Amino acid sequence: MAGIDWSEARRYLGLKGEVPELEDKLRRAGELLLSAAAPKGVWRRFPLQRREGALCFAGMEVTSARLRAHLAGCGEVYLLAATLGIGTDRLLERLAVTDMSLAVMVQACAAALLESWCDEYQDRIAADVAGEGLFLRPRFSPGYGDFPLDTQPALLGALEAGKRIGLTATGANMLSPTKSVTAVIGLSPDRGSCHAGGCATCDKKDCEFRREG
Amino acid sequence: MNIKDCLGSRILFFDGAMGTQLQAAGLAPGQAPESWNLTHPEAVKAIHRAYLDAGADVVLSNTFGANGVKFADPACPVEEVVSAAMALAKQAVTEAGHGWAALDIGPTGKLLKPMGDLDFEAAVEAFARPVRAGAAAGADLILIETMSDLYELKAAVLAAKENCDLPVFASLIFDENGKLLTGGDIPAAVALLEGLGVDVIGLNCGLGPAQMAALLPQLREYTSLPILLMPNAGLPQCTGGCTHFDVSPEDFAAQMVDFARSGVWLLGGCCGTTPEHIAALTAACRNIVPLPLEPKRRTWVSSYARTVVFGADPVLIGERINPTGKSRLKQALREKDLDYLLREAVTQQEKGAAVLDVNVGLPEVDETELLTLALPRLQSVTDLPLQIDTSDLGAMEAALRIYNGRPLINSVNGKPESMAAVFPLMKKYGGTAIALTLDERGIPATADERLAIARRIIDTAAQYGIPKEDLVFDTLAMTVSAEPGAALTTPEALYRIRTELGCGTCLGESNVSFGLPRREKVNAAFLLLTLREGLSAAIVNPCSDAMLDAFYSFRALSALDPNCRDYIAHADGQAAAPQAAPASGMDLGTAVLRGLSDSAGAAARAALEATPPLELISAVLVPALDQVGKDFETGKLYLPQLLMSAEAARAAFQVVNEKLRSGGGSAPASKGKVILATVKGDVHDIGKNIVKVLLENYGYQVLDLGKDVPPETVAETAVRENVRLVGLSALMTTTVGGMEETIRLLRQVKPDCKVMVGGAVLTADYAAAIGADHYGKDAMSSVRYADQIFV
Repeated sequence: MAGIDWSEARRYLGLKGEVPELEDKLRRAGELLLSAAAPKGVWRRFPLQRREGALCFAGMEVTSARLRAHLAGCGEVYLLAATLGIGTDRLLERLAVTDMSLAVMVQACAAALLESWCDEYQDRIAADVAGEGLFLRPRFSPGYGDFPLDTQPALLGALEAGKRIGLTATGANMLSPTKSVTAVIGLSPDRGSCHAGGCATCDKKDCEFRREG
Repeated sequence: MNIKDCLGSRILFFDGAMGTQLQAAGLAPGQAPESWNLTHPEAVKAIHRAYLDAGADVVLSNTFGANGVKFADPACPVEEVVSAAMALAKQAVTEAGHGWAALDIGPTGKLLKPMGDLDFEAAVEAFARPVRAGAAAGADLILIETMSDLYELKAAVLAAKENCDLPVFASLIFDENGKLLTGGDIPAAVALLEGLGVDVIGLNCGLGPAQMAALLPQLREYTSLPILLMPNAGLPQCTGGCTHFDVSPEDFAAQMVDFARSGVWLLGGCCGTTPEHIAALTAACRNIVPLPLEPKRRTWVSSYARTVVFGADPVLIGERINPTGKSRLKQALREKDLDYLLREAVTQQEKGAAVLDVNVGLPEVDETELLTLALPRLQSVTDLPLQIDTSDLGAMEAALRIYNGRPLINSVNGKPESMAAVFPLMKKYGGTAIALTLDERGIPATADERLAIARRIIDTAAQYGIPKEDLVFDTLAMTVSAEPGAALTTPEALYRIRTELGCGTCLGESNVSFGLPRREKVNAAFLLLTLREGLSAAIVNPCSDAMLDAFYSFRALSALDPNCRDYIAHADGQAAAPQAAPASGMDLGTAVLRGLSDSAGAAARAALEATPPLELISAVLVPALDQVGKDFETGKLYLPQLLMSAEAARAAFQVVNEKLRSGGGSAPASKGKVILATVKGDVHDIGKNIVKVLLENYGYQVLDLGKDVPPETVAETAVRENVRLVGLSALMTTTVGGMEETIRLLRQVKPDCKVMVGGAVLTADYAAAIGADHYGKDAMSSVRYADQIFV
C-alpha cells in the first residue's frame, strides 16, 4: 500500500527540508488526507499501432510527436487512471474556508500520495508483464508536451473510469475529482530504451518544482 | 398491463448485458453502442429477442449512454437514437409475445457542481431528452441504472417524473463496502429515492452475486420498496488485456435463488451476463413466491452521505445559520460572504450538531438566489443533513430541488394555505417537515388544542400521500417571562404527540428564556424538561457549553450513550480547548509572526484591555503583517507560515472588530474591493484561495466569484460593484485562453480596472502577452500590487 512520501510533500510546499515549526501541522495534514482519500486505480492493456503520423490505441487516434517519441519501440500500451477520490476534494474545499495553511499542506500531501499510488499501480502492472519479458516506459499524461488534453474523455472512456473509479473530465478536460491522473504507459521488450520520465520530459524549464538530474 | 400491477405477484426478470453482446456481434472499442440502433438494428433486436426467449420479462433499450451530455454525435440527435432503440425493444417484445420494454438511462459521465462542472438543471435536461423521446416511443417503464452519484440520480428521477407518467425504477452501483464512489451509502440512497417516489430500488453492476449478497441485508433493513438486483457475472478478471467475467450461468442462478427467497422481487444481470445466465435464472426462480414488503416507517433526513433518524435517541439541530438577532451573519448575507456561513457550518458540525438549520432570509436580500447559492457550497464543506428554513415558498421549492439528499423542511403548520403549499413540494422532492402546532387562530394555550392541530395536519398530509412519519411536530416553546405556564404546556403537548400520535418531535428551545437574564441556563433546563418528555430533536446553539452539557448528560443518564462514550468525548473536548489562553507571556505581534491563531485571538483580547482597538490595529497588527510579508519575500518564511500568520491576524481582527462593534462603532473600512476568480474551464482554485486569505487579512474586501467563472460574470461584477482590481487564476495552458478573453472583456466594459494574473503555467512574459497589468509570481505579490493600486 502506498503512503505519503514526506520529502515529496515538503518539496511541493517549497520547503527546503524539514521546518520544525511546520512538522506537526504537516503530519496532521497527512492524517486528514489519509482519512478522506479513497485511492483507486484502473488500467487496461491495448495494442499500439502507428498510422500516418498518428498513434492508434484503444479506439483513439492521437497526434503527438512527444508521445510518439516516448513510445518508440513499444508495440502495446497500458492506459492508467488513478484518483484519490472526491473525499479529498471535499476536504480541500472545507479547509479552504477554515484553515488555508492546512489546505495548502493537504494539497501537497495529496500530490505526493497520488504519485505514490501511481508508482504502486505501475509496479503491479510491471509485475504482470515481467513474465512476458516486457518492460514499462514512464507514465506520459495528456497535457504533457503536445499530448492533447482533449484526449481525456476517450482515455477515460476506454477505461470505464467513470463507472469504475468515479473519475470524469470537465468540459475543459480537467480531471474531476481534481487529485487524479491519467497516463499512457508503453510496453517495450527493451529494458534499456526506457528514458527518464517525469520532469525531464516536460517543457516548462522554469518550473520551480522541477527536479534536476 | 402496467408492470407496477405485477410487482409482487411473481418474481420479475430483467435481461442481461447489452454491451458485451454487442461487442461479440462486432461493436468496435471506442464506438458508441447506441449508434447500432441505427446502423445494426437487427443485431440489437436479436439480443433483445434472445433475452426474452430466455425468459426475461423486461428488456432494456440500448440507450445507456443516450443522454444529452454523454451522447454527442452531431449527426444524430439523442431523440432519434432513443426512438429507434425503443422501437427495437418494443418490436422484440411484440414478436416474443410477452414482456415490457424499459427505457434504459445511464449516467452522464460528468460530475455535478459543486464538485464537478455539470449544472444540476443541465443534468435534468440531459435526462429529460431521452425520457420524452422514450415515452413518446412507447416505453413501459424507465430504469435509471449504474448510478454512483445520488445527486445525478436525483436529477434523472426528476427528469423522469416531470416528463412522463411511467413507473420509475432506480438502481445504483456500490463498491464491496456498500459505498458509492461519490461518498453515499445505502441508507442515504434509500432516504433520497423513497422521498422522490421511485417505484423500485435496485443495485446493479460493479459486483458479482456473492458481493451483492453481502449488501442485501442492509438494503432490506432500510427500504420499504421492492428491490431489483442485477449483478455482474462475478468481478471483472483481466487476463491478456481482456476483461471477462467468470461466474457460470448455473452458479449465477444458484445465488439468485437465495436473493429471491430472501425477499428480492426483481432479478436480472449486468456486465458479463448472457442469455444463458438469464435462462438459468428464470428456470431456477420462476416458482418462488415473493415475500411481502415490510414498511419501515422511519422518520429521517439525509445528506448525500449520511442519514439522521429522529427516534428515541435525541439529536441536535444547529441553529447558528439563521440571521435572527445576529448582526455579523446579517452583514455576511448582505455581502454574500458565504465563507462566513461555511465556517459556521463546520464549527457546528465539530461541536456535535447532527443537522444544520439554514435560514438566509432578510428583507433586503433575494432569498431564492442566496439559498440556492448557499446550499451547494454548504454541502461541499459539510456532510450533515440540512434544514431548509424559509417562509418564502419560491425559495423553498428552489432549495428542495437542488438539495442533495432528503432535507428537513422548516416548516408547515395547521393553516390550510400552509399545508396546501408545502405538502405538494414534499411529495415531489421528498423530505421530512417540521409541523408547527399552530393554525389561523394562532398558538393554542392548551396541549389538547395543539394535539388537535397535529391530528389535522396528519390527516391532511395523508390526503397528499404523505405518511405521518414524514412529519416531526414542534409544539412551540413560548416565553416563560410573559406567560408563567408556557413552559409546561409545550412539554406536555410533545409528550402526548409522541405517545398518542406516535410522531417525532422537534423544538426550538431558545424562545423560552426571552427577556430573562442568563438565558443559557434557562434554555439548558428547558432542554432537559423537553428531552425528558421524549423530544427527538432540539434546535439549539451547539456552541453553547450549557446546552451541550445538558444534552450529553441527559443521554448518558438515559442509557442512550453506551459506556458514556459521547459524554466523555464531549467533556474531553472541552478540557482540551479551554477558552484559548495565550501561551504565557506571548504578545499579539509574536502570535501573528508565529502564526498561532488561538494565541492571537486571546492576546488581542488581553491587549484590548489596555489599548484602544484602532491603535491595536495600526501599532501592532499592521506592522506584524508587514514583517511577515517581508520575511516571506526574503525567503525567511515559507508559504504555509505566511498563511498561518494571515490566519492568526484574522483571529485577532475578529476580536478587535467585535470590540469596535460592541462599542457602537464599526469595523474599519476595507482598503478596497478586489474581485478574485478562477477562470472559465479551470476548476483548480487553491491559488486563488491563497491570494484571497492574504488580501483579506491585509485589509481588502474580496469578492470571490469561485472557479470556472465565465468572462461575462467577472465583467458584470466589476461594473456593478465598481471594482478597480481583478485577480484571475488559471492552472493549465488550455485555460489561459479563458483568462485572455476575460481581460479583453474587462478592457471593453471597465477600462479603469486593473487585472493581475497568476497560476502554474504563467510567466511574466506570458501575462504581458495576454494583456494583464500584473503577473503575481507568488502569494504576496498580489498584496503588494493591490497596495500600489489602492494607495
